[in-house]
Amino acid sequence: MHASVEQPHGEQDVQPLLVVRDLQAYYRTSHAGVRRAIRAVDGVSFAVRRGEIYGLAGESSSGKTTLIKSIAGAIKPPLEIVGGSMEFAFLPGYGGLHRAPPAQVERIRWRHLSYIMQGSMNVLNPVRRIRCSFTDFAYPHIGGSRQQFEQQVVAHLSRVRLDPSVLSAFPHELSGGMRQRAALALATICRPGFIIADEPTTALDVVVQKEVLGMIRGIQRETGSSVLFVTHDMGVHAHITDRLAIMYAGRLVEEAATAEIFRNPLHPYTQNLIASLPRIGEDAPRAGLGGAPPNLADPPSGCRFHPRCPLAREICSREVPVMREAGAGHRVACFAVNGDDGA
Amino acid sequence: MNDLLLDVRDVSKTFVRGGLFSREEIVAVNKVSLQLAAGRPEILAIIGESGSGKTTLARMILNMVTPTSGRLLLDGTDLAAISGSAGRIAFMHKVQPIFQNPFESFNPLKRVERYLLMTRRRFAAAAGGSTAATAVDAALHKVGLSLKEVGGRYPHELSGGQLQRVAIARALLAEPKLIVADEPVSMIDASLRISIVNLFRTLRDELGISIIYITHDLATAYYISDRILIMQKGSVVESGDARAVLTAPRHPCTRQLREAALLPQIAGGGANASGTTQVI
Ligand SMILES: Nc1ncnc2c1ncn2[C@@H]1O[C@H](COP(=O)(O)OP(=O)(O)O)[C@@H](O)[C@H]1O
Ligand code: SF4
Ligand SMILES: [Mg+2]
Repeated sequence: MHASVEQPHGEQDVQPLLVVRDLQAYYRTSHAGVRRAIRAVDGVSFAVRRGEIYGLAGESSSGKTTLIKSIAGAIKPPLEIVGGSMEFAFLPGYGGLHRAPPAQVERIRWRHLSYIMQGSMNVLNPVRRIRCSFTDFAYPHIGGSRQQFEQQVVAHLSRVRLDPSVLSAFPHELSGGMRQRAALALATICRPGFIIADEPTTALDVVVQKEVLGMIRGIQRETGSSVLFVTHDMGVHAHITDRLAIMYAGRLVEEAATAEIFRNPLHPYTQNLIASLPRIGEDAPRAGLGGAPPNLADPPSGCRFHPRCPLAREICSREVPVMREAGAGHRVACFAVNGDDGA
Repeated sequence: MNDLLLDVRDVSKTFVRGGLFSREEIVAVNKVSLQLAAGRPEILAIIGESGSGKTTLARMILNMVTPTSGRLLLDGTDLAAISGSAGRIAFMHKVQPIFQNPFESFNPLKRVERYLLMTRRRFAAAAGGSTAATAVDAALHKVGLSLKEVGGRYPHELSGGQLQRVAIARALLAEPKLIVADEPVSMIDASLRISIVNLFRTLRDELGISIIYITHDLATAYYISDRILIMQKGSVVESGDARAVLTAPRHPCTRQLREAALLPQIAGGGANASGTTQVI
């Protein structure tokens, strides 16, 4: 499968910040002597432009976290990059952080790229006070006097509504929401050009969540940075992302401006997803998706959505539909939308 | 037969933090009362920010936390009077919990099906003659999974969404009258979220199970609940018919929650690419 990555419309001269091509990332496990590969990311191509918040949505186990871990270079067995490339504008030529020399990766971390992991524990060292995490990671990039640095940290913490007293706490002494906000503050204090965030506001209360999203949007605007924002929460996507990609069973099935996805979803999976969302004031019953979620150790042939798709036709179980432009800046991988030659 | 399945009477819970000299009292729940009628299953949503006392209230109903004052009765039995393992098992037959983080409710070293089979054996008396595996598979099917799919897997090999469905299947094995679900869908994706919320409705309508649904997702609360309680700083500040409260909130706290809720819709005009998304 060789899907092409579209260049952004009208700005072909501007190189995207990240180009992912045909990425395949599998978990290779063996259980009771039986080896299996979980094909969590299987042929994903997209580009993140400069200065945009690019959203990634999809049901749990669709491979979002695996995709994000691969891009962020957080690849540990059993996860393996099986094929494809991830090219960053600020680290060209390697095809992925996992292939770049550690010294290069060290150089760009925090300053150019920061990664907020699902659960947000990774950046906060569990045996060190929060203050030490800031000094360890951010101070080398920010510099200045210790006192100035501390002032800057305190000011930044207040943007995520954290009291300076958290600096003296250990991560386990904070609530999940406070930890998540501390991790967010740490990931954004160096104003990196690219922020990768996996469910960064999922543990937060609605009121705090809205403020934290405002903080992310504010930093992104001030610095013109790009954000790759993963969440299953469609309300968050509607609120913050510029473009949105929908993932299903390890592949992207649709990508467009966020408003376009909400108003004019074309892929049958996306259509069901949008129609299933309850809204205050609307009383009509909503239906979830029928059928079972796919097993990525033995995914359906052809279009992985075909066993659950109301529009499935003969070709769907035989061939893999590729992402095709179905409208301006709107890509879809579906035979019913693109026609049977869409393979 | 009692008229009330659950009768929470004026319960409070105060936690004491700190040492001998710096005692700090935190009133987590402050004089809360609520009733669920027997024989009239309903879904009651409890909404509030974290720290507002929802989880502490849930834990008192689940008899995991003892109230500082007030009483809780389940089917006429005072929770304070439950003792011994037989008493606790009888209690768990009636009330089952579902927690927010399914990874915390499963032993990471045990395969999930073993856990389900153990649960089923503990409650075997409740279910007819079906074999344990059949009962477990049937419960898994009710939540959109199967024994074939989760067989042989450890909790960390399942995603949060899959594991939460396993947790609900596990609760169903006890055939309870009441399920107390604390943020059960906050880690679950939208299409599955509606399936699970619809599943709660089916449990209410077909199995006669009442559900206390603690959430910060106002949209699903609106969609599924019959009644709603809004909590702030340990107290109930507003309650009533779910649709009425959420469409015309009266208390400032409810209004603030209603305004901060990010609804999955895009306001008219304005391309998102320019970052002008409006949330309505
Ligand atoms: N450490 C692991 N070992 C084996 N399988 C895994 C591991 N982590 C995730 N998976 C599997 O990979 C698939 C994709 O998971 P994930 O990337 O976490 O999806 P999402 O973030 O969209 O929920 C799922 O089938 C999941 O069970
Ligand atoms: S390619 Fe076929 S099965 Fe897949 S979404 Fe389109 S119509 Fe459905
Ligand atoms: Mg994930």
